Amino acid sequence: MPYFSDDQDVYRHLGQLFLDLLEDEELAPKFRTANTVVQYRYRNPDSQITVKLLEAEEGQVDLGRTLLEPEVIMTMDADVAHRFWLGKVNVTVALARGQMKASGPVAKILRLVPLTKPVFPRYKAQLEAAGRSDLANA
Amino acid sequence: MTEPGDDRRMAGFKDFYQFSAPTRVIAGRDLLASTGFEFAKEGAHRVMLVTDAGVRGTGLVDRVADGVRDGGLEVAAVYDAVPQDSDGAAVEAIVALAREHGADSFLAVGGGSVMDSAKVACLVHTHGGRPRDWEGFYGLPRGDDGAGRALELAPLACIPTTAGTGSEVSFVAVIRDREAAVKYQIADFALMPRLAILDPQSTATLPPSLAASTGMDALTHAIEGYVSRDWNPHADACALHALRLIHANLRRAVQTPDDETARGNMLVAAALAIVPTNCGALGVAHALAHPCGAAFGVPHGVANAITLAVAIEFNAAGGADIQERYRDVTELLGLGRPADAGTVLAAHVRELARSLGLPARLSQVGVPESGIPALVAGAMGEACTLVNPRVPSAEELTELYRRAL
Repeated sequence: MPYFSDDQDVYRHLGQLFLDLLEDEELAPKFRTANTVVQYRYRNPDSQITVKLLEAEEGQVDLGRTLLEPEVIMTMDADVAHRFWLGKVNVTVALARGQMKASGPVAKILRLVPLTKPVFPRYKAQLEAAGRSDLANA
Repeated sequence: MTEPGDDRRMAGFKDFYQFSAPTRVIAGRDLLASTGFEFAKEGAHRVMLVTDAGVRGTGLVDRVADGVRDGGLEVAAVYDAVPQDSDGAAVEAIVALAREHGADSFLAVGGGSVMDSAKVACLVHTHGGRPRDWEGFYGLPRGDDGAGRALELAPLACIPTTAGTGSEVSFVAVIRDREAAVKYQIADFALMPRLAILDPQSTATLPPSLAASTGMDALTHAIEGYVSRDWNPHADACALHALRLIHANLRRAVQTPDDETARGNMLVAAALAIVPTNCGALGVAHALAHPCGAAFGVPHGVANAITLAVAIEFNAAGGADIQERYRDVTELLGLGRPADAGTVLAAHVRELARSLGLPARLSQVGVPESGIPALVAGAMGEACTLVNPRVPSAEELTELYRRAL
């Protein structure tokens, strides 16, 4: 059974994480060095988060439909995304297994992977604060 | 299970790895005459032959074409204008020629750029689109609504004319986008050629400088693959035997080019050394080298020959488990199992490159100090960086480039 009940559940938690990251004065400029627009396409439940990470512009997160044109597209189950942000998924292994599929200039996103480590406890804390210890301990 | 914070284990039983080697490899002497006989077994009928002007000028392509016809196949057309670093325009020209002449299969005769061009041409010929539409990892069309087996491409065979890249058995193709000054990668299992023919006749006219730099590329694949955090036992077996063959044959192949046995063994070594890469195992030497090629046109093997030693020194400082892996390599190279294996191995690599006549510093091959920030940005996004046993920061990559400069 998927961790998230529907797309709104995805946006409430994973979406909120992206929104918070782009508000973070320390992390947001680092993430914007990717200089791309990345779209995360999730299955089970079907949902979509598009993130604008352009050096010269403010960050932007669109939950669901978007007018942004993605350059990089990452496709995966929402469960894989959730476990990634808990620090439980090795990206290179997930790509090799086909749990994540990446199209476009993937290097722009892979350079951010080392930056995500400090975000893992933050996501867990966010879930616990929202009363979702079921997700935090998935 | 992997413990938290223990995602870099250099020994033991892994949580996960996968190994795939579907390419049928035939190796030996006087095989070119039977190219058609062998390629017919892979479903080829009308063959699009892909090469470059240099290889065609040696007469090798004509002999291969005769071998294709002798096996009852037709040569639909020959494309001989693949540039030093292949690009999308060359790929599209190959596809157009193949369609114009009704080709149903592709045969690459050349080095890495020729083979990668043929791979992507085969992909575009089969599935349509433009070359860069397919950039990414494991994104080729699959059955069962995208969850099944990658759909087969048209038959593809490779006859490598250098012993280094390993593209003849690999799942990746690297294409240069000249406008954006980047090299992009397309990687998926379906890109693995159906057939590779390893015959030392195909490297008989290889200039010693190219034999040296491509051989160092193979050495880098083997050492980095063995000491990557994505190491695995299947790949280890191939990497270590590749190292034995390189140790015994690289100098001979460069310094006595008529030594057919050494050249043949180097072809086999290159095909073995790439196996870890097919499992995702590489490292920071490649991450440092790729942007040098994209931004400053440094040949890949030359860049690797320079960056490998600094990468080894950087990694060796990362922990006893990494040193232990380098110790396996030094032992195999006849250098014993010294406590400071990384230092010993780096010195060995530098001396080997020097003895082969290769440049020792990036500044000798056109990389300026002012280029370092852009090179660091490129290296940061390399998947090879993520599987290095130590994941370097931007500051550490800057320092590594300075040491290599």
